[in-house]
Amino acid sequence: MHTLHIISKSPGHTRFRECLGMMGEQDAILLTGNAVTALADSTITLPETVYALQEDLRARAIDPEQDISGQVTFDDMVSLTIQAQRVISW
Amino acid sequence: MHTLIVIDQPPYGSWGGRESLDMAFSLAAFDQPVSLLFIDAGVLWLKQGQEPGGINQKSVERNLAAASIFGVESLLADTAACHRFGLNEDNLINGVTRIDNTGATLQQYQHVAFSG
Repeated sequence: MHTLHIISKSPGHTRFRECLGMMGEQDAILLTGNAVTALADSTITLPETVYALQEDLRARAIDPEQDISGQVTFDDMVSLTIQAQRVISW
Repeated sequence: MHTLIVIDQPPYGSWGGRESLDMAFSLAAFDQPVSLLFIDAGVLWLKQGQEPGGINQKSVERNLAAASIFGVESLLADTAACHRFGLNEDNLINGVTRIDNTGATLQQYQHVAFSG
């Protein structure tokens, strides 16, 4: 994985669109906080490699039907940031 | 003086939505006629099965489900937003009235306040 984009803004926020716009082929996106609502929003299309923080999904009663790359816990989140060559926290 | 509080922010990610809920319940506690309208991502406050323990927050699902007991006159939700976020009578908390025209609804209230 080249760049891991960590985003906590809701899809309506301009920074969410900016993040999607910056996504490269080898990049992945990690949804936390309000950003996880993108998985419940039928008007949002997300790129291939998408991770979402489990605690935030459960807080909002969102279970991602589409097959996302994975629900991650806080610990997994740490290892994801280590795997990535570069991390951007939006 | 009939008040409508509009919540358009998703739950738990910021404090704006929760503060507005508290405001509504406080108004109701002082017998001020107040209703709540949820639009855009705000409708997610009304989804059943919220478990925010993992992010150290308390669920508001029970308070919302008991809103009428607390004196909140109505829980309104925008139908289009419910559809967008996959909400229907199976996963919405009970007591929610879905409305189609939020603009017209806003007209019915003397005082309208949007969440933070």
